[in-house]
Amino acid sequence: MKWRNRGKLPAIIITVVLLLFLLFPFFVMISTMLKSSEEVYISPPTWIPERLHFSNLIIVWREFELFIFFKSSIIIALGATIFNTLLTVPAAYAVARLRFIGRKFILYLFLVIQMFSPVIVIISLFKIMVGLNLLDTYISLIIANSVFTIAFTIWMMNGYFKSIPVEIEEAALIDGCSRGQTITRIMIPIAVPGLVTSMIYTFIYAWNEFLFGLTFIQARPKMPLVLALFHFVGRWTTQWELLTTAAFLAIIPVLVLFYIIEKRLVAGLAGGAVKE
Amino acid sequence: MAEASISLKQKLWNPEARLAYILLLPAVVVLVTFMFYPIVYVLLMAFFKTDKLSRFRGFVGLQNFFSEMTEPEFWIITGRSILWTVLAVVTKTLFGMTIALILNVKYTGRKVARMLFIIPWASAVPISSMIWRWVYHPVYGLLNHTLKVTGLWITPPTWLGHPIYGFIACIWVDIWIGIPFMALVFLAGMQAISEDLYESASLDGVNWWQKFFFITLPGIRHIVLIATLLSCLWTFNDFNTIYILTRGGPAGATDILITRIYQNAFKWLRFDRAAVMAFVTFIILTILSILYSRIYFKEERV
Repeated sequence: MKWRNRGKLPAIIITVVLLLFLLFPFFVMISTMLKSSEEVYISPPTWIPERLHFSNLIIVWREFELFIFFKSSIIIALGATIFNTLLTVPAAYAVARLRFIGRKFILYLFLVIQMFSPVIVIISLFKIMVGLNLLDTYISLIIANSVFTIAFTIWMMNGYFKSIPVEIEEAALIDGCSRGQTITRIMIPIAVPGLVTSMIYTFIYAWNEFLFGLTFIQARPKMPLVLALFHFVGRWTTQWELLTTAAFLAIIPVLVLFYIIEKRLVAGLAGGAVKE
Repeated sequence: MAEASISLKQKLWNPEARLAYILLLPAVVVLVTFMFYPIVYVLLMAFFKTDKLSRFRGFVGLQNFFSEMTEPEFWIITGRSILWTVLAVVTKTLFGMTIALILNVKYTGRKVARMLFIIPWASAVPISSMIWRWVYHPVYGLLNHTLKVTGLWITPPTWLGHPIYGFIACIWVDIWIGIPFMALVFLAGMQAISEDLYESASLDGVNWWQKFFFITLPGIRHIVLIATLLSCLWTFNDFNTIYILTRGGPAGATDILITRIYQNAFKWLRFDRAAVMAFVTFIILTILSILYSRIYFKEERV
């Protein structure tokens, strides 16, 4: 007890100092998005806007046509999530529940490729997309994002399926359920937390993805949000008050989703050493 | 002999195994088409002469490797990639450990603090990198202004326009993004250590540092290993931060292998050079991946 009490105040002080230090860019983001365009470009700059401007939110939506890119990002991220789930659930069930030769090898392989670098394959992937005539399409990004999330989501779902007692499934099989029915009526409903985690993971991955978009998408209307912002920064005069506003709007959805899965994500990445 | 072959056949082709193959098929087909085939293709490309459309123009054996590895530039970039990874992972580990330790102290508000600490990891990496570009802005950026006003640095540098400061600026953003993951994993590990150990140690008059070195560290040793390996993979792979902050500039001073591969291929259309670098990167990443997977596998019951 004595140790705990003694440790408290320094811990709080260190927390505050570290948070101020680490969250500085977000402070800058919020401060800038509330400034007028004149105030953004005065030197020396101001920490806090003299007058709060909320008009940037409207400007970004109307003139920068942010909704176009939001729409692209939502289509891509949802598409990737659905495609990924359709591939992941059956595969994860197979490695979790069925006995076959090569099961361990396949699991191990999924784990190894989970961390593969998209940059290594980007050259050939680009050629494939050209060959399939998929440049400047949402499908190219839906496929690429699914492929690079499958290994991890199969691993996660494998863990969830394994944690369901075999007896439940056996009882259902004896009662005359088919394999397919046990999967859809018993396994998936019980594994919903895992399913939600892997779906959100894929959604966030696709939402935040930059490299594939940069390589496959040139047409402005098809650009996902992140890529559109990047091109916005690249322009000769970046209007930072608008960019920070757009960045803020782009971050919020993934931030909320991330908090839902954060604990399960850590457990999934660190393996058996971490319990949820 | 006949029996053995029948049982092998049964093992490979019984109703259960058949169902497994069918269920795995879609995922495997997609992975083979869009991941394995592209990898093999790039690895092969390293042994061929290529034109500007990345078509194969004759087998040249190891010649691409020789010509690439006799250039000092290649070794500078490889060395920088390793320096980048080591520096970043060590710093992330130190910050992560500090944050985990303070969040492990049971004070009011630590749940909120935990949520706030996560933000850099939870935000989109490319978007954070863009915001950092604004933070680093030499004239209107608030970082330099803050450094000047607080007197910490009266003449701060033009961060992204300078070879060394540019590298520091990039690596800091990578570190900043990677800290929360380390902190969360370490914290999870610390919370799995039994309170009793600390209490009985307190009774024996053990001080804080001794507790840290003899109870906490051994308790999370395994988790630290997994987290640092994972972090090495991510850090070595970090394309977004560098590409968005500096695009490898000024004059290639902040390029690491992963960004140079992209530039070689899509900017200079030197696919042979890109392929050689991809080959080297592939080997390094595979070694790290296998290390990570082995440790992960040991822990997990498969």
